Amino acid sequence: MRLRELLRTTSFRLSSLYGLIFALGLAGLLGLVYLRSAVYLTHRVDSIMSTEAAALSLSPASDLEARIGEAQSLTGDKTSVFALFTPSGARLVGNLPVIPPGLRPNGPPVEIAATPLFPAPARLIARRLASGEILVVGRDINQLQEMRAILASALIWSGAAIAVIGLACAVGLSIGPVRRLRVLEDACREIAGGNLTRRLPISRGADEIDTFAATVNYMMDEVERLMGEVKGSTETIAHDLRTPLTRARARLHRLQQSPTAPAADLARVTAELDTVLERFRALMRISELEARERRRGFARIDAAHVLADVFDLYQPLAEDNGVALTWSAPPDVALEADPKLLFEAVSNLVDNAIKFSGAGGSVSLRLEPGAGPPRIVVEDDGPGIPVAEKSAVLQRFYRGERDRTTPGSGLGLSIASAITRLHGFHIELEDASPGLRAVIVCGRGETLFTGSSGTRR
Amino acid sequence: MARILVIEDDPQTAAEIAACLAASGFDAEQSFDGAEGLALALRERFDAVTLDRMLPGRDGLDVVKALRDAGSDVPVLMVSALGDVDDRVTGLRAGGDDYLVKPFAPPELIARLEVMLRRHRHPPTPEVMLRAGDLKLDLVRHEAERGGRRIELLPMEFKLLEFMMRNAGQTLSRRMIFESVWEYYFDPGTNLIDVHVGRLRRKIDAAGAPPLFKTERGVGYMLDAT
Repeated sequence: MRLRELLRTTSFRLSSLYGLIFALGLAGLLGLVYLRSAVYLTHRVDSIMSTEAAALSLSPASDLEARIGEAQSLTGDKTSVFALFTPSGARLVGNLPVIPPGLRPNGPPVEIAATPLFPAPARLIARRLASGEILVVGRDINQLQEMRAILASALIWSGAAIAVIGLACAVGLSIGPVRRLRVLEDACREIAGGNLTRRLPISRGADEIDTFAATVNYMMDEVERLMGEVKGSTETIAHDLRTPLTRARARLHRLQQSPTAPAADLARVTAELDTVLERFRALMRISELEARERRRGFARIDAAHVLADVFDLYQPLAEDNGVALTWSAPPDVALEADPKLLFEAVSNLVDNAIKFSGAGGSVSLRLEPGAGPPRIVVEDDGPGIPVAEKSAVLQRFYRGERDRTTPGSGLGLSIASAITRLHGFHIELEDASPGLRAVIVCGRGETLFTGSSGTRR
Repeated sequence: MARILVIEDDPQTAAEIAACLAASGFDAEQSFDGAEGLALALRERFDAVTLDRMLPGRDGLDVVKALRDAGSDVPVLMVSALGDVDDRVTGLRAGGDDYLVKPFAPPELIARLEVMLRRHRHPPTPEVMLRAGDLKLDLVRHEAERGGRRIELLPMEFKLLEFMMRNAGQTLSRRMIFESVWEYYFDPGTNLIDVHVGRLRRKIDAAGAPPLFKTERGVGYMLDAT
């Protein structure tokens, strides 16, 4: 199963979308928790510092240095900063070497990194005392920063985890439906390939795919029944016609042998009936081809061999009719085909072409590999087929206007068309001005290996 | 007089076939049902059987299988509306000796019966040289000769001549020729086979007298050396 196919499935897209929405929600939640707790902790630090600063600044100036020392010994120099500076900024006492830039007396709090005198990041405020000296109070904010880092990393990691899990779930959820669709697709292909008895599998889940499959199966039951009825009635008609035809032909044969029979009339009637029989066989052949199971008897064949054999079979006929038949085919163009059927199809086209090009005409039989599928071309310079008739002549049982006056079943094109359909190929009729160019476009063909192209005349 | 059993479910068709056979010098017996036909074929001696493939009671394929299982080697001509190559193969594999697709013209049936009968009486032997009058065909060296004169033949002409010489004295229909020599089973249409036989005929009959090829009107050809 290809990844690209998986990514296009509805279930993958839906579960990815859910995953994305969930990840966004989680990020929002974590972000809110982070913001609220950071604000709360900062606020607490600030209020402690303000209280301490206020308490210290109320002390008499002479007492201050001693009070600072006392406060420092209480906190053990570990969690608090206390420092006193002259109005010009020189340190008098305390565990802060200088006033950090940006820290203004009575201004907003400032955060600094660790210093030699205080080994942790700190948040500081400054107060100008009545004496003009500057008091700096600070708190260790290591914990605050750590908590921020923990929240941030929780955000990143949980986001990543959700993304990975969500993607995995999306893929996992899509594999099942894709597998099922693949099974349905295979079944449909088999049906399209001619096996009308095949049905779509239905699981026990009875979900929407099963409902759909059941509907398709119901449809196929109907199609199969109708096809059976059509085939059955065709066979009945064929049987009903075949028996009287056979009887009539047998009776004529006996009449011809009686000495009193009008020989010329009987010969004419016999010839007429033989034409009917020939056309009848051709019709039966078309029905048979259409009912045939596809790809039975198929093999990988060299198209040039088929053309060579057709040429060998028809060259004498063409010569006797005064038609120049030529053929050309590069070797090693492989086709997936039933060689006998393909021979029959090409024979019918060549037979037609010889018949319609007439004495002095020419017929060319050639294989054109080209960029697309190989083309088997039979081109004559006869009267061609009117545009209006072009699609009709390929239909089942259709006899064109020009067939009415010529011998034979006149159903050669229909037979060729039925055979090509069976192969998944198709026939194109082109105007060769003058004449008709009948082309069997051989769908699944490909060149096996490159070789020098040979031409035989 | 050769005795033929016609197993065919449509009584009128059976009667017409029997009448045609009688007109061509056969003694024809009719049976309208597979089981009855099989019993008759096993009980009495027939020189050949024409057997419709689709029969009430017992299917034609079944009948020919039962016939072979019972040890009978009577030549059987399967007659069927099913003309696809596979149907033919099934029919022949079941034990049929030849296969004729309906609807057919009576001369076709008679020609096939006669060839079948002769092949049964004189089974083909491995030969290196075929002869018909002063015509000789060397199967080893792939050479044809008439009255001491070499005749150049194309491969297909050689195959066609071999088939006709092996069945010399027998009427061969166009379809029989197409099926045996080219091994295709569709209607060859127009006068395709006539042209091929005509070419061979000109080569052979130009090389000596009397003419060996005979046209059987409305049926096909015969190589006649008598």
